[in-house]
Amino acid sequence: MSPFARFLSTAREALYGRHIPRLKSTGDTAITQIEAPERVRLAIAGQVAVVEVGETVEAGDLVARTPEAVRFQRRVHASLSGTVTALSQEEVVIEGEVPDRPPITHSEPDWISPESITDTAREAGLIGMGGAMFPAYVKLSRVAPIDVVLVNGCESEPYLTCDQRVLEEQRGEVDCGTVLAMHAVEAERGLIIDRETYYPGGYERLLIRDVLGRVVPARGLPRDVGTLVINVQSALALHDAVCLGRPLIDRVITVDGGAVGRPGNYRVPIGTEVGHVLDACRVDVSKSAAILTGGPMMGRLAERLTPVTAGTGGVLALTAAELSRSRTQPCIRCGHCMEACPFDLPAAYLAETPHKAVLGCVECGACQFNCPARIPLVERLQRAKAVVTAWD
Amino acid sequence: MTTAGPFIHSGQTNRKIMVMVLVSLSPSLVAALVRYGAGAGLVILSALAGAWLAELLLDREQAFDCTALVTGAIFALLLPPTAPWWLGLLGGAVAIGLGKHAFGGLGRNLFNPAALSRVLLMGVLPVYFFSTTWTIGGLTRASPLAKESGAIGPTITELLAGNTPGALGQAAPHAVLVGGLLLVLLRAIDWRIPLTYLAAVAFLALVLPASARIEGHAPWLLGNPLLHLVGGGSLVVAFFMLTDPVTAPFSPSGRIVFAIVAALYTMLVRFYTPYPDGAALAVLLANATVPLIDRATLARASGDAPLGATVLSTDSAAP
Repeated sequence: MSPFARFLSTAREALYGRHIPRLKSTGDTAITQIEAPERVRLAIAGQVAVVEVGETVEAGDLVARTPEAVRFQRRVHASLSGTVTALSQEEVVIEGEVPDRPPITHSEPDWISPESITDTAREAGLIGMGGAMFPAYVKLSRVAPIDVVLVNGCESEPYLTCDQRVLEEQRGEVDCGTVLAMHAVEAERGLIIDRETYYPGGYERLLIRDVLGRVVPARGLPRDVGTLVINVQSALALHDAVCLGRPLIDRVITVDGGAVGRPGNYRVPIGTEVGHVLDACRVDVSKSAAILTGGPMMGRLAERLTPVTAGTGGVLALTAAELSRSRTQPCIRCGHCMEACPFDLPAAYLAETPHKAVLGCVECGACQFNCPARIPLVERLQRAKAVVTAWD
Repeated sequence: MTTAGPFIHSGQTNRKIMVMVLVSLSPSLVAALVRYGAGAGLVILSALAGAWLAELLLDREQAFDCTALVTGAIFALLLPPTAPWWLGLLGGAVAIGLGKHAFGGLGRNLFNPAALSRVLLMGVLPVYFFSTTWTIGGLTRASPLAKESGAIGPTITELLAGNTPGALGQAAPHAVLVGGLLLVLLRAIDWRIPLTYLAAVAFLALVLPASARIEGHAPWLLGNPLLHLVGGGSLVVAFFMLTDPVTAPFSPSGRIVFAIVAALYTMLVRFYTPYPDGAALAVLLANATVPLIDRATLARASGDAPLGATVLSTDSAAP
């Protein structure tokens, strides 16, 4: 690259920042068990609790499940050993101690049938850990012919490195989980995608397009092109459930941001309050301007009582400088939103003019990141989606 | 603050884009100053002042994002060097007042404010715009695109050196080109617009049939694409006026159609009307087609997009 070309690309990035920066600084930090929380809040909305207040539970015990008649079955298990101290339609609160990580029950079957993998995934309460939180057993059942399983380790959200660490430290278990998923859907190929990619290149439609060259049809699913995509930690959880008899009760998250004293990757019981994570990682509250669960692009504002769920990839405590907030200006129709969109949607136009194309928006936020007028495009696109959906 | 992301931002602002455009306009302004001296400086300053004061009066908050200065500078490039200072002041104020704020302010104007101001003032004060000859340095020359002038056309060397009478923006084609290419390289403007416009102008200059008006008075206008690219306001229009994002179509394909419309109108005026140049008028006409182009191109582009990605997906969705 000539000095002039380098000057131009630097100036361009400084001015226009088309590429969303990676901002990943915890990729070399080994996973550690987080300081034990005193209590966990397990979300059980839509399920029926099978425990009562005052009851003693062991980590891994079933605490809630969907009624048999419900189409998509869910299970929630205790992530602490202790006592149920509160119970509502929405959540179960358990106070107690963190169990040891090693296997709860151990089974070494000679042969596992595809059906038994699906059944185990359902009973272990496995859900999509990339953020969708959809019951994993549904995808692992053979409803359509699948020839490739993609294990998504792209983690294109800035800051987050937990999937990358899991791949580095527990590759054997992830490999095993991949093979189990392939066996469950009787796929011939399994690919673990661990390369760096652009944001939002980890989004499954883009991943399938970039890796396999297959285009998922409009209103279609990956299985329509013979593909199953699961997250790295979902593959790990599948291994744990099938090989160790361990239900889904914890996950690895990245804790990072300018206000975090001890950034890194932590194994956290599901249901741990964000406030506990902040304290355990020495977050300087005076420096932190926003606390988020998830990445900075698609994450959400969190409060101290917000629980870490199976789909939470990280807890971020960002400073005002990292947020770089500014007032909204009028749209000058520069078209940067359309250039940034992975699906070439004219975001500023669709935010104002209802059109069914807005349903193709995945709310990745690349448009808003690049908008010089600081228009809250994601919020407006969500509203436009609601309007268009109401037409049908 | 909303609860949904993204929570980080590129740091890009409207103001940074406008400053970049101003920086890219500066070679043209300096070239005009060098060629025509203090008189041109006064015209430029008065146009900048007129635009900025109008903005300050009508929207105090917007006055510091530099958009008014961009409009003022572009308007100055459309004025002849012989223009009186008050014409600059008036034109700058009309551009911002009628061209922008009358439509609802930044981002809402249908027409390019500088072009609108120039065309409005040309209607009521034609004497300052329509004199086709100027005396510069003791030498009286015709505007290169004028049709009722003398029998000799400008030479290529004269054209490239900007050594022909014209608006301030025509003082130095290379200065306009340098600024325009800088904008393209910094991606502050869409390269499709200047490329399509200039290519279409050159193509039309070669293929449009001659009219009696040209054959009789200014035969050098025929078969001379370079003259049409460099001679009139084509370069300023291509790089600084049609590229104004507010008044251009939103989609890349729409922008190409838009540039072709502008080129067609420019060349129709130059070939078949008594006016010397149609570039500023062409900008307005092309601007007027933008809502139509947007509706046609965006609806089609959007219709091809994948639908239902989040609505029906059961897969691990977050990237």
